[in-house]
Amino acid sequence: MSDTNIVSTDVLIVGAGPSGLATAIHLADLLKKSDMKHRILLVEKGNTVGSHILSGAVIRPEILKELLPEVDFNEFPLNAKVTKDALLLLSESGSIQSPIHPPYMSNKGNYTASLSQLCRFLATKAEEKGVEIYPGFAVSEVLYDEKGKIRGAKTIDTGVDHHGKPLENFQPGTEIEAKITVFAEGTRGSLVKTVIDKFDLQKGKNPQVYSLGCKEIWSVPEGNIAAGEVYHTMGYPLNLHEFGGGFIYGLNDNKAAVGMVVGLDTADPTFDVHAAFQVWKTHPSVAKILKGGKLLEYGAKSLPEGGYYSVPKLYVDNALIVGDSGGFLIMPALKGIHLGIRSGMLAAETALSAFTQNDFSEKTLKAYETKIINSHIYKEMYPVRNFRQAFAKGMVTGAFMFGTQLITGGAGFAGKVGVHTDADATQKLKDFSGKPFKKRFAGKLDFDKVLTFDKVTDIFYSGAHHDEEQVVHLRVNNPATFNPVNIEQYDAPCQYFCPAEVYEIHTDRNGHRELRIHGENCVHCKTCDIKEPGDGITWMAPNGGNGPEYQNM
Amino acid sequence: MIIISLIKQVPLPNEMRMGDDGLMDRTKAKSIINIDCQFGLEAGLQLKKHYPDARMIVCSMGPGSFESALKTAISMGYDEAYLLSDRKLGGSDTFATGLAISTMLNHLGFTKDSKEPFVIFAGRQTSDGDTAHVPSQVAENLGIPQATFCESAKPDGKGNIIAKRIIEGGYQMMQLPMPCLISLTPTGIPPRKPSLVGAIKARNSAIKVFGVEDIHLGTEKIGLTGSPTIVAAVANIESERPPIVLSEGTTEAALVNSLIANMKKGGNVLQRKEVKEKAEKEAPDFPVVDTRDNYKHILTWVEIANGQIARPSLELFTPARHLADQLGNDTQIKTVLIGKNVAPLAQTLFEHGADEVILVENDKLEEYLVLPFSDIIAQIIKVQKPEIALFAATTSGRELAPRIAVKTGSGVTADCTGLEIGEYVNRKEKTIIRPILHSRRPTYGESKLATILGFVYPQISTARAGTFEVPAKVEGRTGTISKFKPELSDEDFRARILETVRGGGGLQNLFDAEIIVSGGRGATSDGLKLLKELAEALKEKGLKAEWAVSRAVVDEGYAEYARQIGQTGKTVRPKVYVAIGISGAIQHLAGMKESGTVVAIDHNPKAAIFRNADFGIVGEYEDVVPELIEQVKQGFTFGIVNLFQKNTT
Repeated sequence: MSDTNIVSTDVLIVGAGPSGLATAIHLADLLKKSDMKHRILLVEKGNTVGSHILSGAVIRPEILKELLPEVDFNEFPLNAKVTKDALLLLSESGSIQSPIHPPYMSNKGNYTASLSQLCRFLATKAEEKGVEIYPGFAVSEVLYDEKGKIRGAKTIDTGVDHHGKPLENFQPGTEIEAKITVFAEGTRGSLVKTVIDKFDLQKGKNPQVYSLGCKEIWSVPEGNIAAGEVYHTMGYPLNLHEFGGGFIYGLNDNKAAVGMVVGLDTADPTFDVHAAFQVWKTHPSVAKILKGGKLLEYGAKSLPEGGYYSVPKLYVDNALIVGDSGGFLIMPALKGIHLGIRSGMLAAETALSAFTQNDFSEKTLKAYETKIINSHIYKEMYPVRNFRQAFAKGMVTGAFMFGTQLITGGAGFAGKVGVHTDADATQKLKDFSGKPFKKRFAGKLDFDKVLTFDKVTDIFYSGAHHDEEQVVHLRVNNPATFNPVNIEQYDAPCQYFCPAEVYEIHTDRNGHRELRIHGENCVHCKTCDIKEPGDGITWMAPNGGNGPEYQNM
Repeated sequence: MIIISLIKQVPLPNEMRMGDDGLMDRTKAKSIINIDCQFGLEAGLQLKKHYPDARMIVCSMGPGSFESALKTAISMGYDEAYLLSDRKLGGSDTFATGLAISTMLNHLGFTKDSKEPFVIFAGRQTSDGDTAHVPSQVAENLGIPQATFCESAKPDGKGNIIAKRIIEGGYQMMQLPMPCLISLTPTGIPPRKPSLVGAIKARNSAIKVFGVEDIHLGTEKIGLTGSPTIVAAVANIESERPPIVLSEGTTEAALVNSLIANMKKGGNVLQRKEVKEKAEKEAPDFPVVDTRDNYKHILTWVEIANGQIARPSLELFTPARHLADQLGNDTQIKTVLIGKNVAPLAQTLFEHGADEVILVENDKLEEYLVLPFSDIIAQIIKVQKPEIALFAATTSGRELAPRIAVKTGSGVTADCTGLEIGEYVNRKEKTIIRPILHSRRPTYGESKLATILGFVYPQISTARAGTFEVPAKVEGRTGTISKFKPELSDEDFRARILETVRGGGGLQNLFDAEIIVSGGRGATSDGLKLLKELAEALKEKGLKAEWAVSRAVVDEGYAEYARQIGQTGKTVRPKVYVAIGISGAIQHLAGMKESGTVVAIDHNPKAAIFRNADFGIVGEYEDVVPELIEQVKQGFTFGIVNLFQKNTT
């Protein structure tokens, strides 16, 4: 490769989500204060900043004031201030409002918001501060120096066929060399995953576990829901073994965000979060809000919810990990945005001292971990450190254990509670003793395309698209055993859990079943990378600019 | 060496959605570089492989927002960017646009006498204008040779460019000396993605913006008032196809049975909105003026391919006769016939409606070439002074007409589907111009029908092939033959045809077929085997069946050009059109949307074809088509009654 295809920067940030943008903004501010000049380059795989950003979202706004103290609060593109906050316990046909609102779930003083819009706003602020943001570029590879230390990342080669062979319009990827690389790739980052493996950063920690959230934005008739009304639901259609619930947020201009988040440790290999979400919408308490409305947008995203004990080591020589990539999320409150921003700001402070000392080794960067422990992140995450693990044993046990955790300051009766990976939690069809998903919801899975939608229709509303000519960005890791094990024994869970109908099991005339991958539908939630048994599938970054095209998610 | 690309920014075609009011909502659509222009950009970058030190220039004309398209071009590999942006250019038609862009190129130092060789690349046409005029008009204004509708352009090492130009039913290899202009179809090498180094370069490059005064372009021939044509009216084209009926079932057999049942039951019916009768506008009491001076009669050009008259040229006699009748006053149809030993063809032209054949015979004119042909016809127009000149909107007609129009100072209306004589109420001058040609053409991705008027004579239009019927032959009808001796120079033969390749059959059969089985990229994994089998099975049932393909398939080498649907200006109208693995690119839809019943089979339920079909199956074609073939063998004929095999249930 010629030298003309190498870019040198001081800081490379991978991903323009809230944590990556916060890193960029805060570092630009800190450098300016210290009269230092360093190049900050941020690459984002979405077609624009915000294209791949999805969240509920109800945001704690204080952190934004801290990040951008000079910005008038009214300038932030927040939606409505929370006016009503209720937890509904749903049975199949009825609901009761929970008389007690669980702690950590209070949304007083918070705002509903579109995180993709907020990120677009943060990006313009970062650009004003001199940060270079390049959306539409996917990095596919971490670059290491001869000593095995991270020296940057490389954007994906484009203009290749399905096998990676260069075509006539081949454009080699650009090597980005950086003194510090900040991984802000979001949940289950495809690069950070390789970094965590290479440096064994999860050693001594719980494996990360995840939830999958499906979300729709609706325009609803006036009066169905007021802006600022926030409801969370528990119960139907989930059972006591399944961790999760629904949310309904009233937005300005007669819009509503509805969604469902379910832990990916479901034992049923045929569990389908998207379908559960559709069934949930038919519950009278939800349906009445959407009645007469129209679907505007759809999306899906996974969330890291292992909590404190699943956070990997967050630094190596020349690199830091921030945001969802680091697992910063407090599960009881379903909130990670303010933690992501905070982690970005702390990473920025750490980077500043690295520049001051001109030392980018672990020796300097380990200060990041100390900063986190001394910050609000720790204060919020530590007390609920065993929350998710408790619920791995079911909602009843979980509620009991969580109750004891509240009393004991988080330890419960068991110190650190261990947990299996979500893929390992998935049972083989023959071992699963419960009622399989389709039987459980028999008669409820015909979607009317008015209130409920099949995946394919929903995906249309995600704006997902992928270039035809490229290597399929989803790799089956064990082609030899995929048929006999993943398909025959597990019934190919990917065909169910994928919220974007990427995976199809085709049965031919002779009854032979095979996997077909429709990568073009992918909304980049990475559930397949997380949930397919036996590490069956690896999610890799496709061409930059591919994927969903979220507007107001 | 200098490589110049001309680009336009357009709304993303598949993002142009109908708003609640039924109008195309272009405000919400994202902007992209026009797809054909992207292929032009790539062709320029491909040529750079042979000239690594070439200066790479990209130019555009439009509002300031076009800078983002120019920056994208830089991020793909271009070096310098120029934008001609001036309010005075607003409302410019293609003639004015061609003039303005060539003036900017002149200003930048590019003329036909430039010392340093250069090649200009352009897109064949834009998705929002669809005329394909501007490249020809820029070339004519600069006085340089051109090759339009090309797929590739390579140097021959002797200072020439060898271009592969797509023509009806085949292609031509053309040799052009530099400087020259090449326009690209979207079947060439797909545009590369920007590189990060390129994006960084784009971020740091300034785009030079010119106003009309900067390039010394007078305002009399540009903008709304200077343009020779105006858009007089735009009407919505209502969707002609009701919503699709999709097959249901979990197995291929069930899906196909469901299709058969659905077709028996009949498809959805289009709910046409009541069109409110517009109150006839009170015609103002202005004096009627006839601005034709001594311009009279209708001129047409007949295209000869392989020594035969091309069918679209015969179709022209239908609108030409209609206009002649409307004009009355002994208006005649004069047809220009150019070629080598073509005199015997004149009789056929008389029998289809020509009153006079203007014959130009020359051994060097055996094959159509834009430079001499545009010169000859312009010379004839100067002498004959026709009020209207009509060309078939073939690959030749669509480059010839605009090039002639620059010579005569006329506007051109491209790809018309309706031609009528009417009037124009000029409220400013308080006059009514009558008679005047109303040229109607679909635009904005086939969603609107625009009526275009031209005020400079001759009024020039091209008519979409396949839209008008060939008028019935009147045996023994005769007319006069007049010979014309044009003045030609060696310059006219600067560009040469090296080779012409036309596929056998195909084209004609497609026009006549009652059922067309058409395959797209998504039907090629078996090399079109199943597609051909299905067509064969239908033929065995006595149906006039033929197979065809989309551009992508031809591009990948699975089929010859003659079988391509959706090629510029070609429309097929079978009773049944079975689209297999076709995503439904807008050009393809334009080529088949007049079919009777459309059946679509594709694995991607989001494919645009499903929004333009009556019946559909979502599934893998490898699974569905064998089932379908089986059913055809057992008598399923897609509802077409076979007159020769009645009652064979």
